[in-house]
Amino acid sequence: MFDVLDMGASGLAAQRLRMDTIAGNVLNIHTTRDAAGRASPYQRRFVVFSPGQGSDPARPGVQAQIKTDNSAPLKKYEPGHPDADASGNVLYPNIDLAVEYVNALEASRAYEANVTMMDVTKAMLNASLRLIA
Amino acid sequence: MAFDGKRVGMGIQGLMDQGTIPVLERVLQFTAARHRLLAENVVNVDTPNYRQRDLSIQAFQQSLAAQLERRRLDPHAALNPDAPQSELNDQLLYHDGNNRSMERLMSDQAKNALMHNMAVELLRKQFQQMELALKDRPV
Repeated sequence: MFDVLDMGASGLAAQRLRMDTIAGNVLNIHTTRDAAGRASPYQRRFVVFSPGQGSDPARPGVQAQIKTDNSAPLKKYEPGHPDADASGNVLYPNIDLAVEYVNALEASRAYEANVTMMDVTKAMLNASLRLIA
Repeated sequence: MAFDGKRVGMGIQGLMDQGTIPVLERVLQFTAARHRLLAENVVNVDTPNYRQRDLSIQAFQQSLAAQLERRRLDPHAALNPDAPQSELNDQLLYHDGNNRSMERLMSDQAKNALMHNMAVELLRKQFQQMELALKDRPV
């Protein structure tokens, strides 16, 4: 029964990573440069879930991997922008706020569901432990 | 009177292996195993191509009932009810290949936890009664 808590923890970690990724997308929605200062739009990131715990894929649980969305950036005509190209277009990250918000809501609900499950696991363990108390 | 170790041993073993105690034990084993599966389903609620799994309560109860019936004739008959695990295929399949149903998961988990707690309480009462009988025995 104790390993069910580990399993829940793997779910919490995965959903948190997903939430972090979404936060990164939302706050970089207008980022037109990379870390070195070159004009290169931020690439949207997302997580991919797969069964099995990160530390040991044979144990039941879930793990999340961050992947980069390689879709083409959005073009906006802003001739005065310092990062505009020769024809006056600026490349912006291809991020849809609505999509990010829906994903964030889903992640937070899934996180809650995992917490509920862990609470129930604890309650069941406590009940079993009361047998010997 | 000669001390009959064999009979005393049988008595203590019999005490724990008769009545509802072994049945409640099997129920606890079942609810723990089912809880593990339900937790796995919740953890993998967003995993693509993951199919929700469950243990069949009905199959478990039928198997347990049949074995208890056999036990009526032979008190030493084994009590190993089987609880087949299956993938659920009667639920809406989403585009990511996952057939999650949060409502069903939550209600199943609540029912399962109640069943677990009920079995624990009943088992506790059994042990309490046994303790009472042992303590209040005139010397």
